[in-house]
Amino acid sequence: MQCDSVVDDNFEEVCPEKVIKFKPPLYKQRYQFVRDLVGRHEPKKVADLGCGDTELLRLLKIYPCIQLLVGVDIDEEKLQSNGHHLSPFLGEFVKPRDLDLTVTLYHGSVVERDSRLLGFDLITCIELIEHLDSDHLARFPEVVFGYLSPAMIVISTPNSEFNPLFPIVTLRDADHKFEWNRMEFQTWALQVANRYNYSVEFTGVGKPPAGAEHVGFCTQIGVFWRNSGGAPGPCVSQQHDQHVYKAVYTVSYPSLQQERVLKFELVSEVLLQVERLRLWHLRTLREQKRGAGTVPKEPSVAPSLMLDLFTEAEKARIENSPKPFCEGSRFFVPLQRLLAYPRLHRLPVDEERMRSLLADSVCLSSDGSAVKVDLRNTWDWEPDDY
Amino acid sequence: MSGRARVRARGMARSPGALAGECTQASPSVPRMLMPSDLSDSEASFSGGMEGTSRISQNCDKSVSSGDVGSTFVEKVVKVRRDYVDLGVCTRAKLAHVRDSKTGSSGIPVKLATNLFNLDLPQDWQLYQYHVTYIPDLASRRLRIALLYNHSRLSDHAKAFDGTILFLSQKLEEKVTELSTETQRGETVKMTVTLTRELPSSSPMCIQVFNIIFKKILKKLSMYQIGRNFYKPSEPVEIPQHKLSLWPGFAVSVSHFERKLLFVADVSYKVLRNETVLEFMTDLCYKIGTSCFIQTCEQQLIGLIVLTRYNNKTYRIDDIDWSVKPTCTFQRRDGSEITYVDYYKQQYNITLSDLNQPVLVSLLKSRRNDNTEPKIVHLMPELCFLTGLAGQVTSDFQLMKAVAEEIRLSPLGRQQRLARLVDDIQRNKDARFELETWGLHFGSQMSLTGRVVPSEKILMQDHVCQPMSAADWSKDIRTCKILSVQSLNKWLIVCSNRAENVIDGFLSCLRRVGSSMGFNVGYPKIIKVQENVAAFLRAIQQHVDLDVQLVMCILPSNQNYYDCIKKYLSSDCPVPSQCVLSRTLNKQGMMMSIATKIALQMSCKLGGELWAVEIPLKSLMVAGIDVCKDKFSKQMVVVGFVASLNPRITRWFSRCILQRTTTDIADCLKVFMTGALKEWYKHNHDFPARIIVYRDGVGDGQLKAVIEYEVPQLLSSVAESGSKISSRLSVIVVRKKCLPRFFTEMDRTVQNAPLGTVVDSEATRPEWQVPLENQYDFYLISQAAYRGTVRPTHYNVIYDDNGLKPDHMQRLTFKLCHLYYNWQGLISIPAPCQYAHKLTYLVAQSIHKEPNLELASYLYYL
Repeated sequence: MQCDSVVDDNFEEVCPEKVIKFKPPLYKQRYQFVRDLVGRHEPKKVADLGCGDTELLRLLKIYPCIQLLVGVDIDEEKLQSNGHHLSPFLGEFVKPRDLDLTVTLYHGSVVERDSRLLGFDLITCIELIEHLDSDHLARFPEVVFGYLSPAMIVISTPNSEFNPLFPIVTLRDADHKFEWNRMEFQTWALQVANRYNYSVEFTGVGKPPAGAEHVGFCTQIGVFWRNSGGAPGPCVSQQHDQHVYKAVYTVSYPSLQQERVLKFELVSEVLLQVERLRLWHLRTLREQKRGAGTVPKEPSVAPSLMLDLFTEAEKARIENSPKPFCEGSRFFVPLQRLLAYPRLHRLPVDEERMRSLLADSVCLSSDGSAVKVDLRNTWDWEPDDY
Repeated sequence: MSGRARVRARGMARSPGALAGECTQASPSVPRMLMPSDLSDSEASFSGGMEGTSRISQNCDKSVSSGDVGSTFVEKVVKVRRDYVDLGVCTRAKLAHVRDSKTGSSGIPVKLATNLFNLDLPQDWQLYQYHVTYIPDLASRRLRIALLYNHSRLSDHAKAFDGTILFLSQKLEEKVTELSTETQRGETVKMTVTLTRELPSSSPMCIQVFNIIFKKILKKLSMYQIGRNFYKPSEPVEIPQHKLSLWPGFAVSVSHFERKLLFVADVSYKVLRNETVLEFMTDLCYKIGTSCFIQTCEQQLIGLIVLTRYNNKTYRIDDIDWSVKPTCTFQRRDGSEITYVDYYKQQYNITLSDLNQPVLVSLLKSRRNDNTEPKIVHLMPELCFLTGLAGQVTSDFQLMKAVAEEIRLSPLGRQQRLARLVDDIQRNKDARFELETWGLHFGSQMSLTGRVVPSEKILMQDHVCQPMSAADWSKDIRTCKILSVQSLNKWLIVCSNRAENVIDGFLSCLRRVGSSMGFNVGYPKIIKVQENVAAFLRAIQQHVDLDVQLVMCILPSNQNYYDCIKKYLSSDCPVPSQCVLSRTLNKQGMMMSIATKIALQMSCKLGGELWAVEIPLKSLMVAGIDVCKDKFSKQMVVVGFVASLNPRITRWFSRCILQRTTTDIADCLKVFMTGALKEWYKHNHDFPARIIVYRDGVGDGQLKAVIEYEVPQLLSSVAESGSKISSRLSVIVVRKKCLPRFFTEMDRTVQNAPLGTVVDSEATRPEWQVPLENQYDFYLISQAAYRGTVRPTHYNVIYDDNGLKPDHMQRLTFKLCHLYYNWQGLISIPAPCQYAHKLTYLVAQSIHKEPNLELASYLYYL
């Protein structure tokens, strides 16, 4: 697979003169590992220490569960030039997320304590520790495990047992201070886990080639869980605000938690649904007039385009809600009916809230229980086929 | 068949079907090879120079991040971007009479505020262009850029670099600088930076770099680039009733104007439709049912630009493939097969909800090489949002009104937006830093002096009228007789049975207004037919003979009627025709004004002359040229040419041709001009002494082609005309879409500049730098804007044998804006251009072939 984003730490495994090539590239496998973890455990607050060019953060920002996404790195220039990669896509303004999301990049060192990183659900340190000198490595557990004390920590580092399979047998990167074998990493990890009351599982990515299975994964990974019995680190409230990191970039995403966004989304969806019901009603009337007396035939070409695909539960919910009705030339759709449709059901509103949000954009019935529109519009398209 | 060929074939096949007014099912999709298009597995796949997806580069940094200047900068350096090409095109040196003064003199001076801002540079400012090579050679552009940027030697310099070509605002000490650096892996890389050019601030390349700098600055202000403009989606104007969001933004550009470098900014809005293509399809299906769903759907969607939710790209819909479903597989670039469902899940964590949706097909043309087969990309309707307003939507009156209300800005509102933009730029630390390192100083808003030229009198048959307002003189001339028109004695009305009841009232009204304007309307033969297109056509075929002067059709609705009737009567059987919607005739209260309008149009179509203005030049022919893309076949372009036939400029010769080319440059001007001269000779028994051609529809970067290719065509037809004294020719390029705006400041508020305002200094093109001379040009405001902000029209005199003083050229141009017979008032461009536009539009939209030459001396297309 062709890959252009091969710089820095990701450079090693896809370098052309190396014999072993991973597919997908090893760095992608590492990121996929984190993504899978996020998909399974749905953390709300996630930080990536040593986030570099923010590649992993970019992959994580698509997860709807994440509401706070933080990257920390000591290379300020890199953060600055990559920050805007994390700004919302244009489409995310058109169709906003359900939950708020704030993405922040901090310039700082992982061995400094910053209270803004307290209380996280997941902290990842992908290919980070091997860049720390012995002094920093010694302080690393105390800060990340002892002080920040997130619910979950992922640490990945090269497995030096794999190195002989590469033609160059030195360190994989000029900046690596060390590369550990499995025993060394696991001993360190277990010690840290014990000390700070975490449990740890070991795994890895980058399967060795056939015949060399004994060397283990190219990248070894430790997944740490804070033990439930243990104290969750120093209590957040007791901490003085300690802001040592410098915020380089921060961005908030539009979401349905913001009133303005919610209102727009709600009004659009309501009008869309009302319009569909109105047209459906008109068609039914036409069919009846034609004497068929049946509801319109299911379309043959694009069946799914015609009707939203409802599950049984959704169908039942819609069936049990009050039906749209006509009074003279007016067509009414009860708010409860509207709320039964999945696309409105997913919005965080009840009937009362809906009424107040709709009030100044949509015409409601006198008791406020239904949306009122004219049954016929002057621009309705009448088929010529009669 | 390739995707492109098929799209083309289908596009062409569609037109006869639509014209016959039938709803045929689209032909079943032909199975075809899908080129391996891993949709965006790696961002690099598209940044590799694919056009058709315009990159929206807030997030795809390549054009800005840390000074990296655009993925195809290498090509651009060789081939300066289209719109900058025009900057180098010069004509003024040849125009002897304007060497001294290119400004006019008549009229009342008026002080004008503008949307132009001074950009100051140090006097001796230069841009230094370097070439950078790497040893060992590095393939990765990112790595090349990273290594250069991280080098301490260059850290203090303002720079723009694309991986090969480096621009600096400060010169390095040596011509060749050797830099050495280490990669992360400890490899030593030698970078050789060689000075290749020193560019003065006026060179087109510098202008391009300035524009890149401003692009970068606007992105620092959290704006997103879409197309060429910049928008702020975080502050949308929302119209939920129509599922629309409007993103406010700016069109900006840096250019050299008369004496200095200026920054122009104009407010712009991007219309986003808050519905996915799938929702749009579903709604359409609800609305029209299934019988002609596929056809209507394709008609409405193909050609639209969509925005995908999962990345920041836009695509054009070139086709819809109904045979491919999300559950189908495609081949990724590594050769593996994956279904669309799995792909979107894996890549973007998106679950597709509708597994039966078809796919949208977009063809990505390679920017690098025009010969390569376009790459086909499949998009899921569920994940695409519609942008812009097009097709059916624009005919939704309610919606257009809602949009207009929101985006129409008064001059004051516009000025306030500009002030805020400037403020934002000056307050933003990064933006300021960017400007400073390049040595640019963002200065004040410019004001200048224009002139309001004298207003024109309207000459009627036995009355000279000085209108109250030049914007609309319909009231002033209500009781006046038009200059000339033949009586309408033999004519037909074709209408449906249902429309019968409105005809009597309408006819008597038409005859009444006709007689008061001097247009005798006799009784027509009325033919009632069934309400379908075929019946209308049959009636016309049966009843139209050589004596019939005009056919009027009262149409029940629907575009199909109009297209078929116009096609038949403009081309197959050339008779002037007048179509009226029966709905229009039902508007009782407005019958008089409707009848007046129709009577005026009918008299024009019979060769009538409505009014004139004083034209001091004797024996002057004016001509207008415009081009328009054909509605169905994008490869066809319609070129229209309209030339005056008499010195009073009240009669016109109109010709039009369909030309198979993708460029807008007219290829047939020699034929047109020769024809017009012959016709002129027939009417005047002589050739015109002067010819002035107004050329509209010139795209960015085509100016050179107009000068080198079109002007010679016109010249040779003039030379070969056989006249004793060769007619003298001037060619003027007309542009309605220019960025500058002019306001008058009054009582601490700003207003639109008055009608007839001419600007011919400061905001015009530069005259420095001999021999790289530029055009002589001016702006003219000839249209009224009651609520919004008026847009001036830009006139660029690119060729001028006539030696008219700029002042005379300006006033003549203003006069010609009074002569469009479809509107009793001033219009924004000279009448011949508007006629040419109207003609090409009719042909491109409805007729799709060359109209019959017998109609050439009538304004049959009004």
